[in-house]
Amino acid sequence: MPQPTDLLQGTLDLLILRTLVLEPMHGWGIAQRIQQVSQEVFQIGQGSLYPALHRLEYKGWIQADWKASENNRKAKYYSLTRTGKKQLEVEIESWDRLASAVALVLEQG
Amino acid sequence: MFREFLTRLRLLIAGRSRDEVDEEVRFHLEQQIDANILSGMSRDEARRQAGIAFGGVERTREQCREVRPGYWLETLVQDVRYAVRSFWRNPSFSLTVVLTLTLGIGSTTAVFSVVDRILFRSLPYGDSGRLVSVGLVAPIEPEEFMLGGSYYEWQDNQKPFVALTSEIGTEPCDLTETNPARLDCARVEGNFLPTLGVSPVIGRNFTANEDRPNGPRAALISYGLWRSRYRLDPGVVGTLMRIDGNATEIVGVLPNDFEMPRLQAADVLLAQRLNVAAERRADPGHPMWAFARLKPGVGAEEAKAELGTLFEYSLRLAPAPFRKEVHLQVRSLRDRQVHEVRLAAWILFGLVLADLLIASANVTGLMLARGASREKELSVRSALGAGRIRLVRQALTESFTLTLAGGIAGCLLAMLLLRIFVAMAPDGLPFLSKARIDLRILLFALVTSVLFAILFGLLSGIRKVRTDALTGRTRTTMRHAVLRRWLVIAQIAASMVLLAGGILLVRSFWNIEKQSLGMNAENIVTAAITLGQTSYPTQESQMAFFQRLERNLRYGPGIAAFAISDSLPPGGYHDDQIFAALRVEGRPALVSGTGGRVASRWVTPEYFRALQIPIVQGQGFSEEETASNDHFVVLSRALAGRIFLGQNPIGQHLHLHNGATAESDPAYTVVGVAADVKNGGLAGGDEPEYYRLRRRRAQDWDRDSILILKTTLPPGETEAWIRSQVASLDPTVPVNLKTLSEKVGKLADRPRFEMLLVGFFALTGLLLAVIGLYGVISYFVVQRTQEIGIRMAVGASQADILRLVMANALRLIVPGVTLGLVLTLTLSRFLSSLLFNVSAHDPMTFAGVMGLLILVTLLATLIPGISAAKVNPTIALRHD
Repeated sequence: MPQPTDLLQGTLDLLILRTLVLEPMHGWGIAQRIQQVSQEVFQIGQGSLYPALHRLEYKGWIQADWKASENNRKAKYYSLTRTGKKQLEVEIESWDRLASAVALVLEQG
Repeated sequence: MFREFLTRLRLLIAGRSRDEVDEEVRFHLEQQIDANILSGMSRDEARRQAGIAFGGVERTREQCREVRPGYWLETLVQDVRYAVRSFWRNPSFSLTVVLTLTLGIGSTTAVFSVVDRILFRSLPYGDSGRLVSVGLVAPIEPEEFMLGGSYYEWQDNQKPFVALTSEIGTEPCDLTETNPARLDCARVEGNFLPTLGVSPVIGRNFTANEDRPNGPRAALISYGLWRSRYRLDPGVVGTLMRIDGNATEIVGVLPNDFEMPRLQAADVLLAQRLNVAAERRADPGHPMWAFARLKPGVGAEEAKAELGTLFEYSLRLAPAPFRKEVHLQVRSLRDRQVHEVRLAAWILFGLVLADLLIASANVTGLMLARGASREKELSVRSALGAGRIRLVRQALTESFTLTLAGGIAGCLLAMLLLRIFVAMAPDGLPFLSKARIDLRILLFALVTSVLFAILFGLLSGIRKVRTDALTGRTRTTMRHAVLRRWLVIAQIAASMVLLAGGILLVRSFWNIEKQSLGMNAENIVTAAITLGQTSYPTQESQMAFFQRLERNLRYGPGIAAFAISDSLPPGGYHDDQIFAALRVEGRPALVSGTGGRVASRWVTPEYFRALQIPIVQGQGFSEEETASNDHFVVLSRALAGRIFLGQNPIGQHLHLHNGATAESDPAYTVVGVAADVKNGGLAGGDEPEYYRLRRRRAQDWDRDSILILKTTLPPGETEAWIRSQVASLDPTVPVNLKTLSEKVGKLADRPRFEMLLVGFFALTGLLLAVIGLYGVISYFVVQRTQEIGIRMAVGASQADILRLVMANALRLIVPGVTLGLVLTLTLSRFLSSLLFNVSAHDPMTFAGVMGLLILVTLLATLIPGISAAKVNPTIALRHD
């Protein structure tokens, strides 16, 4: 298993938004999903997830509701808002630009 | 167990939003624990692993709080609370800073308000920046004037002005209607108001016809008169008022803020109605004052150059003695109005800036000392995780809180000071009574305090928090120690300048008060009477009134001497003329130039006895001479010396108006020489003087007279009695009663005001400098407690320690005083025009100020010095 990589500044926001496209999730679920989907490359310091979630909530990109979880406990579920969806597109686009730029440099160099 | 821990934690830190975060975190951990158990861990191991994966719970909680939108406000409140708490713990520090700022900001704002009103106020005229005062100046009349003989030539041919206008002065006039009143009437040219850019609030300006010699009489009334007499009735325009018996139509009302360009009081504006054709031929013509509006793009200097040929023309008209001494002057109206007070205003401004400098140096020094002594506290906070930014912000918050308090208190102080200034100020300072703390000035103060805040905050906050501060060795960085030393030196130097200025003015005032007036003003009651033009139209009727009054008053209760004069020393108005117009019969002209001014008065025989002016040669006037057809004169000692150069003047014949017709220039017989009396104000230069005898002939009398009564009764009784006697003759005649001592005292108002102001700032400055020095030295002592302890442990005596502290203080005091001396020597010459009989470099004053400053500053170091000498070595060595 490769060493877990530190998340690039701002990338966490992108990952959270992307993860929430599928369905509303609680914080633990988001962390699990990111780890699984990235095949354990991104080991999110789970503690730093929550400030990020709260910040996105304050920005209005996601919203939170208290609901019963699958095992019937009270959990805070986050879901994308309309501006969140738009923002995700913007973020993906800029990420693509960044990634292709990095790829270019790597190939040329 | 973990749940228990979380619950306890939640109870500990209450708050709804915290609850939510806790709930969320708890759910997260429980999920993780469940997942871990599912993957086969034991319960304990699962809990442990979940904790590790999550990281610090407290940190997450903290970070969640920081991303909240209101977070900065929360920390601000926290910072302010922290700041207030720490000020409370150290009240002497906080109080000193706030007090210093209050004094600094308060005095600056108050003085700025005053200076602003005097120097930078907007004049109540349209586009007033282009208005200039134009005219001739001569040594005998340093304020520019014009003469009718050449004014109209200028008006026709001038190029630099859009318009040139004139006024011929203000005079008392009588409103002779039911409810008579004495008013001030100004006589102005027809184009006066349009040139100044003033339009009447109602009605109109004078027409060209109304400014002709026999044109219809028209008047514009002041807003004040409109309000007080006509209750703002707009119907007043077009009605008639009787001025000095002449029916005059009110054609308009002046704006509320209208003022004459030379600032004379004026209730009524009348057209001057000069005969222009006659004036053009006249020599020298009617005296007048001219004002003009510059064409766009033309400056006062250019205008002066362009007027060159016209000035040449006027010079040719001027009598020979004047030609060499007359100059052309064109200056802005504002300059004319303020030039006398401008210097005082700038000096005041300089004083205040010096005070502000001292105050800011003080606060900076205090903040630096505090910052240094809190180094350890800051290190602890930094080690506990406070970020650098947070620490700087904390420091800024503290200084903002302090400066805000100082700024608010300063504004209150400024209002108070302004009120005091206005109450104290003599009448001569224009506009002071209208000075207000306005919005700009308030902003000025607030901006000053905010700048202070940023400066101080950065000074005490920006320093790198050094971890070795925790080791217990408290040593400030050298850089700050050096900065603080220089601040104190600058303070001492600035307060030296202030003190020297203050003491010079005090000495000058002392000289003014103590100088000999040349007469005895004790127990003299004066009564100024101006007879109305309608009731007393001829000199005969005027003389008759005053002679009847004399008969009634002369032998009244307690009257030791009684005289009538047309004016009074030592200051105020008196007749004067040029020296060159005097001529001794049978001798050549006395001088070739004008020879300067000579004062003159009309007096009755007892004048010299009433004022106790000694007759040093010959004798005074006698009663018999008042019946004579001949003319008699008494010279002042200075004038006699100048004319007769030591020869005996008694019995010589003197002509007073050389060159005039024989009828208006009779020969005066010199009967005596009187000792010199001050006549140019208290601080002004004295003029030689002559006294003419007022005989029992109408030609010697005038509407204006001053009765002089030497009384043995209390002045109040005599005044009441005079009032009743005047009223019994003619109840409509106004009397202005004052003791001569009051009049003299009033002349000292201005120097007293200046002295008090400068003294106030000097004391403020000294106080601040002492506080600053005290702060530095006591800080020095605290800082070196350990060192002092060691010195004492190895045998230094208390005296040695005291000497150590004092030597340290002297290293600040001596350079400070030296620097101050240099500054004072360069700056004090600006004061010289305000000084009377004191040199601006008076060695006594300088020595005294230096001694005083050294003494006071040494005293300021004595308290910390003694406390240093009392240090107990065993305690000191355990210090920190």
